[in-house]
Order: sequence, then structure tokens, then C-alpha cells
Amino acid sequence: MDRKRMLFAQRRARRPAGCRAGSLFLALAVSAACAPPATHRAPPRLSTPAPSAEAPRASLPPAETRPAPEPAKPLEKARKENLPAPPGGTPEARRTPAPGEALPEDSSLIAKISPQTPPRRAASLRLTEEGRKLLAREDYTRALASFERSIAIDATNPYSYYYLAKTHYQQGRYQESLNFLDVAESRFAEDPYWLAETWALRGENFRALGFLQRAESSYARALKINPGSRTALQGMNRLRAGSERAPR
Amino acid sequence: MKKPRLSRLKIIAALSIFSALVLVGLAFFMAWYVKELEGEVTKKFEGQKWKFPSKIYSDTYLLYPGINVDARELQEKLRRLGYRLAQGTKSKGEYRVAKNGAFIDVHLHDFDYPGGRFEGFPVRIEFRGGAIERMANLASGEELFSLELEPELIAGLYDRIWEERRVVRLSEVPPLLVKAILAVEDERFFRHRGIDPVAILRAAWVNLTSRGIVQGGSTLTQQLMKNFFLGDERTVQRKLKEALMALIAERKYSKEEILENYLNEIYLGQKGAQGIFGVSEAAQFYFGKELRDLTVGEMALTAGLIRAPNRYSPYRSVEAATQRRNVVLAKMRDLGLITRAQYEKSLRETIQPRELIKVANDAPSFVDFLRKELAENYSHEALTAEGLRIFTSLDLKLQKIAESSLAQGLKRLEEAYPFLRKRGAEDRLDGAIVVIKPQTGEIKAMAGGRDYQASQFNRVVQAKRQPGSVFKPFVYLAALMYGSEDGSKRFTPATLVEDAPFVWSYEGQEWKPDNYRGEYFGTVTLRTALEKSLNAATIRIARETGVRNVREVAYRLGIQSSLPALPSLALGAVEVTPLEVAAAFSTLANNGVRTQLLSIKHVMGQQAHVLERRDIRVRKVISPQLAFMMNHLLKGVLDRGTAAAARAQGFTRPAAGKTGTTNDTKDAWFVGYTPDLLAVVWVGFDNQSKLGLSGSQAALPIWTDFMKRATEGTPVTDFVAPPGISFVDIDPLSGQRATPNCPQAIQEAFLEGEEPTATCQLHPAGGWLEKKLFPFSSLPTFRG
Repeated sequence: MDRKRMLFAQRRARRPAGCRAGSLFLALAVSAACAPPATHRAPPRLSTPAPSAEAPRASLPPAETRPAPEPAKPLEKARKENLPAPPGGTPEARRTPAPGEALPEDSSLIAKISPQTPPRRAASLRLTEEGRKLLAREDYTRALASFERSIAIDATNPYSYYYLAKTHYQQGRYQESLNFLDVAESRFAEDPYWLAETWALRGENFRALGFLQRAESSYARALKINPGSRTALQGMNRLRAGSERAPR
Repeated sequence: MKKPRLSRLKIIAALSIFSALVLVGLAFFMAWYVKELEGEVTKKFEGQKWKFPSKIYSDTYLLYPGINVDARELQEKLRRLGYRLAQGTKSKGEYRVAKNGAFIDVHLHDFDYPGGRFEGFPVRIEFRGGAIERMANLASGEELFSLELEPELIAGLYDRIWEERRVVRLSEVPPLLVKAILAVEDERFFRHRGIDPVAILRAAWVNLTSRGIVQGGSTLTQQLMKNFFLGDERTVQRKLKEALMALIAERKYSKEEILENYLNEIYLGQKGAQGIFGVSEAAQFYFGKELRDLTVGEMALTAGLIRAPNRYSPYRSVEAATQRRNVVLAKMRDLGLITRAQYEKSLRETIQPRELIKVANDAPSFVDFLRKELAENYSHEALTAEGLRIFTSLDLKLQKIAESSLAQGLKRLEEAYPFLRKRGAEDRLDGAIVVIKPQTGEIKAMAGGRDYQASQFNRVVQAKRQPGSVFKPFVYLAALMYGSEDGSKRFTPATLVEDAPFVWSYEGQEWKPDNYRGEYFGTVTLRTALEKSLNAATIRIARETGVRNVREVAYRLGIQSSLPALPSLALGAVEVTPLEVAAAFSTLANNGVRTQLLSIKHVMGQQAHVLERRDIRVRKVISPQLAFMMNHLLKGVLDRGTAAAARAQGFTRPAAGKTGTTNDTKDAWFVGYTPDLLAVVWVGFDNQSKLGLSGSQAALPIWTDFMKRATEGTPVTDFVAPPGISFVDIDPLSGQRATPNCPQAIQEAFLEGEEPTATCQLHPAGGWLEKKLFPFSSLPTFRG
């Protein structure tokens, strides 16, 4: 390793975790997800589900349907070896759940990147993750740009289609959202967690469009795949409570 | 004797009155004329002074670790983007290459993207094995996982001349630059009132003594008036008008206002079609810098360029530029604008030779296509004067490959088939190619003809031609989707159909199309009929599934031209454009999801605000299973069928496609795609002359050449089977499950539940002993 590269490596190692948040402008043109020091490595999956914008705490699913806390061992191992976490979370997270069992939360896209991940999928996932952060900040224009760039790199990345659908949903473009969910669905065939999320978001779109029966069947489909799907449970609760009149 | 005296007096009086009247009239005229000129000056100073052409940009260029881009390719890209090779990367726009080519350091340009302004910073891009290994921000050390290089300027939309200009306030211009310009152009600017008699007399004296025009006496205000209102003609009338206008401007406006306009108006060079106007644009053009970052030497050169921008341009001659700069520096020193030390230091500054990168308009057909699209929402005035920035989907690399594949391919055809070139300039063999990214619908490249200078007819969108056999996949898709019209029969890729002469009686008429070269194959599977593009088998399928269903499928996929529900539709006896064909097949390539074609992605106004944004739009129109089955079938066209020559030509990636030849051989087509890239090629004559060649002879070689070069270095991808598809090895002769005794077996994709159950009756499996001895007897299986 030459001197300059060593200096780079040292600077990277010294960098605080806070530097992960790039400037707003950089976020547009450069995906500058920093490689954090080992102690700050993102866990392969979140032990506590992140609160979502459309999911008020009052309607959280009952505790027994929430995902179980993540076992610590595989994560520790990943830290010690300074290796990227395995795709799809820990082996426990990826095991096939018994029928009726809630699937573990699978929300970290960066954790899906491993040394075996093809480069363009890795780059695409990072852009999807960047777009997700922008979406969480309700910066829809840049979020859309990120997701579209991620598709430009790897058009088979299903997460980008899902989040494009989510962005359109949050902007009230329900038909557009449903269209992207059609694409996401066909690409999530092997991934029950995300397939359930796709059905749940489809339910949300139908509910917003006022097609309550179709919303209910979509939620039901999501819950059949993943009984722990928070979005589907909340949507179903809302439908049953009839507390909202869906906009048409 | 008194009479004549009186009459003389009368005459004098009359003349005096007449003269007075003339003078009064002249005074009135002058007053009116001055008022008119004042109106003109006011209108210019207070209205829109300049026209800002719109600019069309290509798509951005995304880099990420692992992408197959080597140092040479990136260097070429940087060069085209106007980056300069330098010793270091201190300034924006500079890059350096490691001696062993292991990395490139580049200081990125600033750029106003539709999502916001990007502030350039230095990055290191490391390479290994022909790919990018790692990228990092050199300033912060931060590792970068993707990096977007700014788009390339493709073309400008302007009225008469392309004026490239960045307007700045006087306060943004370094005072030393202003002083340097005044020193060489109008030393007494702050002391005269628009015209400078001293300067005029001095110029006259110099010109007289040197017996030629070597010096001008125009003030800076006069120059501004000339540029604003008048031409370059050297007439007394023009000079007088210019002087009068200068006096008016000086009376009405402050020196600072005049100076600011001058600094923005002045012509400072030429970059191909683009004229460089104003000091700010010049700073960017000559030095790649903002005005505030210019060195004393660079300011001196900028000031010196005003007299003869193209003669002293450092792009043309570094020596001439250096000489001129030194003259200005000496004058600045003499006037006390710079110290002796500054002067000495500036003399030592070397002017770097630079390469002039002109806007080549490499995509004229695409730009014409955009013009038409833009005209729907923007007026000609807005497009040519309001400085819009149009961001598009175009990939310049693919565009160049597409243009050259088409031009070279047509030339090769003329060489191989001399009868094609005998027809003269009026009847020249031509073609079209359009390239689409199926998942996004982006038009990545478009060439509407072989030579834009000779013909601006854009065959991609304007040529309505018969698609011939390119239309057949719609028949097969309709058959797989709907089965027979009466609902009594389902079709699968293994369904047997009769390929023998056939007469279709329809509404009292008889239609009897022949196979290509009159060859018939008897009973064949649906796959074989498609791979070999058999007319007789195809129209039998079309009759069973119903022409209306075929038409419905074509519309569903993306054909927009009106299609008659006639039997001949099955063989493509309708008229469509290459762009429609591309759109329809990109739906198949994209697993049954139709994308709206995208050429314009964003339109930005002059103030960096987004006027229009066009997102990717998708709609699932057929099931992914059916789309996969069609792609699987069409892969066979390249692997075994009418497009097998592509494999012989060295294109080995998984790809699907279809040749197209019209019955009268006036049109030759090929549409083909990988999961990531689709291209349609059409070859023919504009006047519908007979081409006499098939799609595989005329269009396929062009497509193959394009795809080989376009996909070089990109990851190999294949069509992925969705759930609900089951694969069975099929004997292509019997259409039944293959046995170990079948001489050939093709792995066929079926909808689950539609797989054939019977095993091959033509080559039944052997007896009990054979089964025991060769339980895994391998067949020559062709995975379609």
C-alpha cells in the first residue's frame, strides 16, 4: 500500500459516524455513504422497527406479532471479522418461518451487500438506500432521482421499484404507485418479507383510492405471507375501525 | 435702379427665411431622430438585452466501484467534458493520471443539476483489471460508492447565432480586470461623455502616419452601441449614428451601467458554433475559472483578446496569446495598475495549450426529435432566447456506435450487393437505428439516416414502413395468451402447427401468402414456426387465435399506428415506425411492463429552477410469465433461427430478437434485445424501391455490430424466469417430452400446468435394460 492510500485508510478510520450524512447537494449527485469504522457498522437488520411516517404508534401491532429481538452473535462475529453482514440479514433472519409466524423486519438495504454482491447491484442498493433517506425527509424529487438512478444501474433491483411505488404513494399518485408495485411484485417472488410489503402498500393505495374491498384483500394477502406486516395490520385496523374515509 | 436692389433684398430675405425654415426643420428632424434613437437605446438598456440559447444535454455518466471503465476510457470522457490534463488537481476542471495508470485524480466541475447545485471537489478514481476499484473524495478522504459525471452538451437551440454568455454584475468582475480592459480599450472612459475627441485625433494621426487603419478612436460606449444596434460596416453614416447613440447612452445611464453592459456584451472568441460573449464566459472558456479566480496574467490576456479574439486565442496560438498578454501587462505596469513584482511574476506565468472541444451535434436526428417534442410545450422564442437547459436520456457513447454501425453497415451492404448502389443519389440505400433501455423506456440513441447532411428525414419516427415478419411475435403472444378464438384450444411453445400452403378465405376474398423462398416444413412446433419465421404456419395460428386478438396484443405492447383487423396483419402488412416497434418489443424485454418512452427528462429554466420533470412511467400490460415465454422463444431466433448469423458474427450474449422482411422485400428489419438494451434496425429505400434482401441479410449485421460494441464490458445478463414457469425438454419434431433417444431436445418454458405430458412418440425411450444402464443419458439439449 503506498503512502497516500495509507493516509486515506487512516483518515477513513478516524472519521466519526456522523459523517455518513453528506451535504444535501452531495446527496443528489454523489452517493457518499462512508465506510464507518467497525464499531459503527450498521446491524444487518434493525432490532427495533423504525417508525414509519404513515404508521402512528397507537396502531402498532400487538407485541407478540412484532419481530423478535435480533440474536447478537452473528452481528458480533461480523464486527470482529470486519466483514459486511450477510445479505438478507442474519442466517436466523433468512430462515423460512413457520406458517403463521411473523417474518423478521428486513429494512437495511446496505446489509444486503456482501463481497459476493455483483458491483452494479451493490451500487444500486446504495442509491436505493440514499433515496430511502431522502424519502424519509419527504424530499420526493431527489428521492425519485435516486431510485431512478439506481434502476439505471441495475434494473433488476426490486427495492428501487418498491420505493418508487412508495414515493408515488406518498405524493398521492396512487395509480403510478400501483404500477410500480406490479413490477416490484414480479421481482420479489423469492422474498416473502418484501412481497408482503408490496401487497401491504398495494392495500394502502387501494384504500386511498377508495377501493376498500381490494384494499382488504391486499392486506389479507400481505398478512398471509407475513402475519407481522405492520403496514398491513395497521391498514386492516383502519379499515375495520372505519375511522377514515378514504379520499377518492 | 432701385428695383433690382429691392428684388435682391427680397431674394436674400426669401433665402434667409427658407434657410431658417430648413434649419428649423432640420432641428425638428434631429430632435425627432435623437428621440427615436433614445427610444432604441432605452428599450435595449431596460428590456431584454440578450438572447440565451437553450442547451440540450446528454444523460449523466454514473461511475461506481466494479463498473468496467478503465483509465483510458475515463480520460476520454473527461476530455470531452472539457477537463484539462494537468500536473495536479488544484483547480476545478483539472485532472491527472498516475504514471502507471492505476488512478486518475480529477477535480470535478460545479454543475447545476435539476435537483440542485453540485459543488465540485477533487476525487481519486482507482482502477484494477479494467474496472473501477475504488473512489474517494480527496479533500475529505470519504469513500464514494457512486459518482455522477455531468452530462455532455449535445446541441444548442438558437435563432441565428449561438451566443454563449454568462451575465455578471459589475461588482462580480475583479476591479483589476476592469482597469486592464479600460487601459487597452478606452483609457479615458471615465473622462469622456460617450465620444472622445482626443482618442479620435490620436487615432487619426497614427493612421495617417502609418498610412493605414491601425488604431480606432472608438470609446467603449461606442463599441457597446455598435454591438447592440449596428453592424460591422465601415461607413460614415454608421459612425455618426454610433456616436450619437453613445452620447445618448452616456446622458441617460451611468458609467457603471454602461461598463457592466459592455463587460457582458463583448465578443471574446469562438468555440465551434458557439460564440463566446462577455468576460465571465471567456474566463470559463479560456481558463476554466470563475472571474474571481483569475490571475493577473489571465486578466491581462482577457483584456488583450478583445481587439482580435480569434487571432490571440490561446487555443489557436500560445505564442500569439503570450505576446498579446505581455503587451497588456506592460501597459498595466506603465499605468501603475500593477507593481513591477506583479508584472515580473505574471510574465513567468505560462499559458497552457488547450484542446478546443466543440459541440459536434453528434445526435442530429435525436435533437430534431426533441425539437418536435419541446415545441408542444415551449414557444420558439422561449427555446431560442430563454436559456432553457434540457436534460435528456441520450447516451453519447451508444449514439456514436449506433451512427457508425448504421453508416458502415449500409456501406458494406452496397459493397457486397452492387445492385444497391446503382440507383444514384436520389434513390440511395438508407436505414435507421433506435436504441432503448427497456426498463426505463429511455431512448439512448437514435440515427434517422446514414447521412444527416444529405437527408434530414428521420426514419426512426417519420418513416412508416411495413414491419413484415417483425410483427409475427404479436401473433404468437396472442396465441399463448388467448388460445384459440373459440376457447377450445390452448397454445404452448410445443403445440404442433401445419406449415403447408394455405388459403385464408376472409369476407369473400382469398388470401394465399407463400413462405419465404417457397419452402414449407410440414408439421412444426410453434417454436420452430417462429424461429424459422414460417408464413403459412403463422397465419394458421393467427386464424385460430383471431386477428382481433393479434391486433389487441400489438396495441397493448405499444404499437400506436392504426391497425386494420385483416388477415394480412399477421404478416405485418401494416405501416409502423421503427420507434413503435422498439416500444412494443421493449415491453417484452421488460417482463411485460410497458414503459413510456423517455427522451426529455428535465427542463430547467435560466434561474436553475425545474420547469418540467418527466419520470419513468410503467404499466404492466402482460404477465411476466407470458413475456418470459416470448423472450425464451425469441432467443431461439438468434440461437437457431433466422438470426443465427449474429452468433456467427460473434455476438454471444443471451438475447432475443426477430428478423423482418416484407413480402416484396422493400423493407428489412431486425429487432433484438438483451434484458438491458434493445435496438431496432430498419434498412430500405425512401421511395419504396425493392431492396431484394431479407432482414437477416441487411438489418441483422448492423444490429449485431452495434450490440457487440455497445455491450462490450457490461455484465452479461439473461432473462430470469418468474414463478409459474416450468421448464421441460421437448423434442422439436414431435413437440412432446424428449426421451434419451431424441436426437435433439430444446428446453422449453411452459406456464405451470400446461406442460405436455406425453413422451416423444417419434423417438420412444428404450427398454428396461437401456434405462438401467443409462439412467442419466444426456441429450444434446439446446437451452433456448
